[in-house]
Amino acid sequence: MEKILTKKSFPAWVKNLQSYTVYAPEKQENLWSYEVIQNPDKINLEYLNTVLAPKKITYPQREIFLQFNTSKEGKPQIKEVLPEEQPAVIFGVRPCDAKAITLTDKVFGEEPKDPYYWSRRNQTILVGLTCNPPPSPNCFCLSVGGSPHSKEGLDILMTDMGDKYHIDSLTKKGEKLIKAAENLFKPASPKDKKELEKIQRESEKKIKREIKDIKNIPDKLKDMFESPFWDEEAMSCIRCGICTYLCPTCYCFDITDELTSTLPLKGKRVRTWDTCQFPDFTMHSSGHNPRPDKASRLRQRILHKFQYHVENYQDYLCTGCGRCISLCPMGIDIIEILNKVRDYE
Amino acid sequence: MNGENKIKAPANPFQPEPARIVRTYPLTDDVNFFQIRIADMEKALSFQYQTGQFAMISVLGAGEAPFSISSTPSRPGLLEFCIRKAGTVTNALFQMKENDLIGLRGPYGNTFPIEKMQGKDIVIVMGGLGAAPLRSVLLYLLDNRDQFGRVLLLHGAKRPAEMLLREEFFSLKEREDLECYLTVDEDDTGEWPADVGLVTQLFKKLGNINPENTFSLVCGPPIMYKFVLKEILKLNIPKDQILMTLERRMKCGVGKCGHCAIDYIYTCLDGPVFTYWDVIHMRELI
Repeated sequence: MEKILTKKSFPAWVKNLQSYTVYAPEKQENLWSYEVIQNPDKINLEYLNTVLAPKKITYPQREIFLQFNTSKEGKPQIKEVLPEEQPAVIFGVRPCDAKAITLTDKVFGEEPKDPYYWSRRNQTILVGLTCNPPPSPNCFCLSVGGSPHSKEGLDILMTDMGDKYHIDSLTKKGEKLIKAAENLFKPASPKDKKELEKIQRESEKKIKREIKDIKNIPDKLKDMFESPFWDEEAMSCIRCGICTYLCPTCYCFDITDELTSTLPLKGKRVRTWDTCQFPDFTMHSSGHNPRPDKASRLRQRILHKFQYHVENYQDYLCTGCGRCISLCPMGIDIIEILNKVRDYE
Repeated sequence: MNGENKIKAPANPFQPEPARIVRTYPLTDDVNFFQIRIADMEKALSFQYQTGQFAMISVLGAGEAPFSISSTPSRPGLLEFCIRKAGTVTNALFQMKENDLIGLRGPYGNTFPIEKMQGKDIVIVMGGLGAAPLRSVLLYLLDNRDQFGRVLLLHGAKRPAEMLLREEFFSLKEREDLECYLTVDEDDTGEWPADVGLVTQLFKKLGNINPENTFSLVCGPPIMYKFVLKEILKLNIPKDQILMTLERRMKCGVGKCGHCAIDYIYTCLDGPVFTYWDVIHMRELI
């Protein structure tokens, strides 16, 4: 269902969504971040992209799995802590980040399904925003099967058309949001649709960077496992893990216990994001490490995204958001690496 | 399918089941034996596992870690583990006493292909803590002795004091239906009644092996594989009949956390039992 909403009416729409927790990008000390919105009048959708993807809402960096304590009789007690059932809407989701959520859905949707993830995910509505202002210089969604106006994973796709938004409702969840304030929306006219097509076509032209011949990359990588190439590429890595923590598709995690008291025993079991870029990610308790150096860890990151995941899910574990390039303190550039892989002999 | 995810939150795979330490005693300086029973009697008896599998053991406050099950499914009820004191979880576990409560979830991972192994000769090679997972399958073979051909065991440790379950293995050595060879790299006691030398030197005792009719099961420290595999390959045992159970750091046990990912597989789902064919085709396995 295609509709038009004037920018002036946008806050009124959000005000009608009181039963939801509403998230939108918010500028905090020059960096954009998804935050809970208290005042819909202040939502500003004139942003490029956030530092952390909306993954931080559907799959938070730290979440409580279990709470435990010792009863008066000295018996340990374990309590499951599932997230609260709270419907949420995220506004301003970039198509690359929405696609990334669909990739995590697949991993956490495999049996046995992850109950923590799904209790949040099932309650989350994703309202996307076409990337028609010039995107980040490191965006490359077109190379990995995405586009600046892709609908994949979204419930609604909004497109900025000057003083109004084109609103494309894609799912039942999306319809429900529009029904919450139906009188604010007008049907899109044929002229609007034409303008939309033009905006979307132009948005694609603004994506400047490209992984060349990406279809051949998975096979090419298979033969490069033992190559000294990885040593060269990983040389400058300072193993900070930013590339994976900021990646909208990375999903690896750790499970640890946190104690608030030892006697009597009281604490939590928590899940936190983890990264294959840290040495202890694969370290055995004996000290043996099957992935002992920076080169083997960079290779793991690239091969997981562009070879292993393709074998398992016929899709890249990368949506071209460019965060790992723009925010790597050492300038390691995944596009350059893959273009070198293409030409490697 | 845009966002229309109808997957309902299921039962929680991360929730440990309360279990009790029935017995624990030291096997070596840093390895203890643990007998564990799931607290709920019905669940304890219905806990189904197979040889080669592992379980996640929790000590509340210290965390969770994976351990191979050393007991055999042919003796249900009690689970046994040989655990080396090495990290936070095992340090906490070593401070616990009999009757203390821990958490347990599992079983996880694939299994030894018992059906394919039936009627075949089985050569088991274990070194150090490698005895932990292979004891499960060894006891299973002995409990179902008539279903298998020759059963041969080569067990190596650095020194006599470091051989896990020595008394048990010496009593197994008495059995006539098991060809059991025990060796230590170095005998610092002067009283070691069995072989002295590397486990690879025991291969000359195997006698005539019909490779097509033989499975070999190996587990030991990473360095051991290099030399033991050389010996096994000399016997011409087919690559898919050489089985190894491999260690990997793990956190979730259910194919999500990424720690044990190798190539396009997860060790916790597609391992820990691998064939030699897997090892040469999947780099980084050892």
